[in-house]
Amino acid sequence: MFNRLIYQDFTAVFTISAFSVAASIFVAVTWRALRMGRPQIQRMENLPFVTPTPPASHGPDTDTKPGS
Amino acid sequence: MSDRKVTVEFNDKVVRQFLLACVIWGAVGMLVGVLIALQLNFWQLNFNTSWLTWSRIRPLHTNAVIFALVGNMMFAGVYYSTQRLVRARLASDVLSQIHFWGWQAIIVSAALTLPFGYTRGQEYAELIWPINVAVVLIWVVFAVNFFWTLARRREPSLYVAIWFYIATIITVAMLYIVNHLAIPTSWTHSYSVFGGVQNALVEWWYGHNAVAFFLTTPILGIMYYFLPKAAERPVYSYRLSVVHFWSLVFVYIWAGPHHLLNTALPNWLQNLGMTFSLMLWAPSWGGMLNGLLTLRGAWDKLRTDPVLKFFAAAVTFYGMATFEGPLLAIKSVNALAHYTDWIIAHVHAGALGWNGFMAAGMIYWLVPRLWNKPLHSVGLANLHFWLGLVGILLYVAAMWTSGITQGLMLNATTEHGTVLAYPNFLDTVNTIRPMMLMRSFGGALYLGGWLLMAYNIARTLRGARAVNGTIEVLEDEPALEKTTAGSTVALFFSPPVLFSVVGVGFACAWMFGGQYIGFAGLIGAMACAVLAFASFERHRGRWGDWYDRLLVRALPFTVLTLLAVIAGGLIQIIPTIVVNQAANVEDRRQIPYTPLELAGRDIYVRDGCYLCHSQMIRTLVPDVLRYGDYSRLGESIYDHPFQWGSKRNGPDLARVGGKYPNIWHLRHMEDPRSISPGSNMPNFPWLLDNTLDLSTLPRKIAVMRELGVPYPKWTDAEILAMAGAQAKAITKDLHATGGWISSDREVIALIAYLQQLGHYESVHHTGPVPTLAD
Repeated sequence: MFNRLIYQDFTAVFTISAFSVAASIFVAVTWRALRMGRPQIQRMENLPFVTPTPPASHGPDTDTKPGS
Repeated sequence: MSDRKVTVEFNDKVVRQFLLACVIWGAVGMLVGVLIALQLNFWQLNFNTSWLTWSRIRPLHTNAVIFALVGNMMFAGVYYSTQRLVRARLASDVLSQIHFWGWQAIIVSAALTLPFGYTRGQEYAELIWPINVAVVLIWVVFAVNFFWTLARRREPSLYVAIWFYIATIITVAMLYIVNHLAIPTSWTHSYSVFGGVQNALVEWWYGHNAVAFFLTTPILGIMYYFLPKAAERPVYSYRLSVVHFWSLVFVYIWAGPHHLLNTALPNWLQNLGMTFSLMLWAPSWGGMLNGLLTLRGAWDKLRTDPVLKFFAAAVTFYGMATFEGPLLAIKSVNALAHYTDWIIAHVHAGALGWNGFMAAGMIYWLVPRLWNKPLHSVGLANLHFWLGLVGILLYVAAMWTSGITQGLMLNATTEHGTVLAYPNFLDTVNTIRPMMLMRSFGGALYLGGWLLMAYNIARTLRGARAVNGTIEVLEDEPALEKTTAGSTVALFFSPPVLFSVVGVGFACAWMFGGQYIGFAGLIGAMACAVLAFASFERHRGRWGDWYDRLLVRALPFTVLTLLAVIAGGLIQIIPTIVVNQAANVEDRRQIPYTPLELAGRDIYVRDGCYLCHSQMIRTLVPDVLRYGDYSRLGESIYDHPFQWGSKRNGPDLARVGGKYPNIWHLRHMEDPRSISPGSNMPNFPWLLDNTLDLSTLPRKIAVMRELGVPYPKWTDAEILAMAGAQAKAITKDLHATGGWISSDREVIALIAYLQQLGHYESVHHTGPVPTLAD
């Protein structure tokens, strides 16, 4: 049954089908992402900040001296 | 439920361990990189020793950077961020320690085996089979520890970084296991179960996705956690991150064949690889833009904060490399760039710019927090950044120039395209020497920056006390999996999944079925699409609810992600394995190697000759003019592993057999410059000194028979007698032409192998595969 894969131009269907599947998934996911509510997005995007961040002890403007 | 709070202490010990291992192994990997870069200009730098030779230690460089630098960085970042994102300590301290020490043992094993020629002969998959088993076991330990932690989480939703980690864990496991399937011939040697074109496809399905799912997806997860933390603002668009993730996972896995464009790989696979590579532009740039735009309003901090400097530059390099990748996957561009230094520029923009800078940014962010002490010197960290950036730019610019020069010179023709403009390969080699030197300088600068970081961290850690992060949680706060147990099955038997499964089934019937089944499949697929749309319109809420529930259930999410990545692999690999077999080959078919030639081939693989010499004449006029008739799929069908190669530091060898006399090869191995003045190939004197070990040859031929190579049932004595007779014949010829060498030397077997390359039998019809006895 696979012989057609190498002996016929039929193989183009793989590229087209694969592209179609991926494109439809892309569209579906995009649609879903756009439908996400603002509260849900805010909750999700703030997850990294739920746990407190310990201080780095080196801020952008606090260059430390060697050995300090 | 009690509202009494308890303190949970994170396991940051393992994070610190992986972080320090990343710094140390990263330095080792880059040091080897600088050495091999210099060796391309100064061939003497192998000091005539086998274990310091370019082709032996190049795999050490690539494996160290991928699995040691990025691997350790990835584990540190994953463990640190996951604990905090799910508000739970890592599930098992024991598993964490097994993971860490097991991974380091694997790295040490690689460092001890690769320089001594213990290799499988496939790029990024060189490690011998016992180490492969160890990698799988340790990866399983990692997976168990990770998913167990997810099962104990207190945060119901899975942040997008966790999605990327899940995709990494399951996909790498799948890729690694499939590509490393092999039959051992001894404790240190094995033959891949895949041969020829099948091996090429599986190898680059793995190789490309090792880049995708080892060097990209986990680092994107790390980006989605650490970049907002460093910028102190949420990710620019969570919506974009959702689209970014799913489209990347679905598309990436299909693009592997772009490493084999214009070769003997079936054209439909090349087209598929090219199409999906081009589609990768969208998700990759979605991720890059999301990262860069997260810095909105924080750009001023880049002036002084080294962490943000590294992150911003890393994401920029990610965007550049992922723009360049699809560009290189266009067939016509690939015809110029493949086998040249342009590819080296591309991978180093990714490895040094994206991975290396993300690692540095993460390390500088973590060290003060994990040891509760200010960084020894922010100034040194900034210097590291500028050294690294200048280093990368010099490196990449040099390799772009070198690669395009190589491509143009090697492809240049005159006389209306009938004659090569530069017929001597060495013309190109000697033209790019200044660029190769500049590359070494750029790499050395980058290494210098990395060593500055190591020094900075060492000084920071002096007298510092390690601290573990903590959070307060409600004493009776339940783990999520318990609260929603029982809904997993419902998630699988829901309209989106059922319509997808049935639709794919009909689509397969349409594509693979005969006349009637195929037609039924087409009708079924169309009906399925219509019904799915109708169901979606009628039950929009239920479809949306399904997706929302998926995002808080780790197991179904993992399974569906696995299905997404499996689909791309199966559709490419199954037809290739089923169709492209020796029995189906038309036109030309490889003649199985004699015992001595097989022994010589193993030496060829051991010494990494494939890393400089391809065995694949592409379907391009300049390739055919330079190397001979283009390679047919059947001409390497019995090669376990395949040796098509990916880089030409020297000429292609697919048809070198019979081109030169035996004495030419002997002199060439002993001192390449005595034959080819100006060559940068190192001397291989040990091939003339080492005694050929044929003790495992009978076992190797037995394994080849198991793999389908049509060897007769020879006895061990017959095999050794045949090898001895052929060796004596070659030696006699060498003696007659002034080459005085014993017949039991390794170089004799290697000459036998090289002289066989390009020999084939013509096949005019499909039928039973003839054996040597025939």
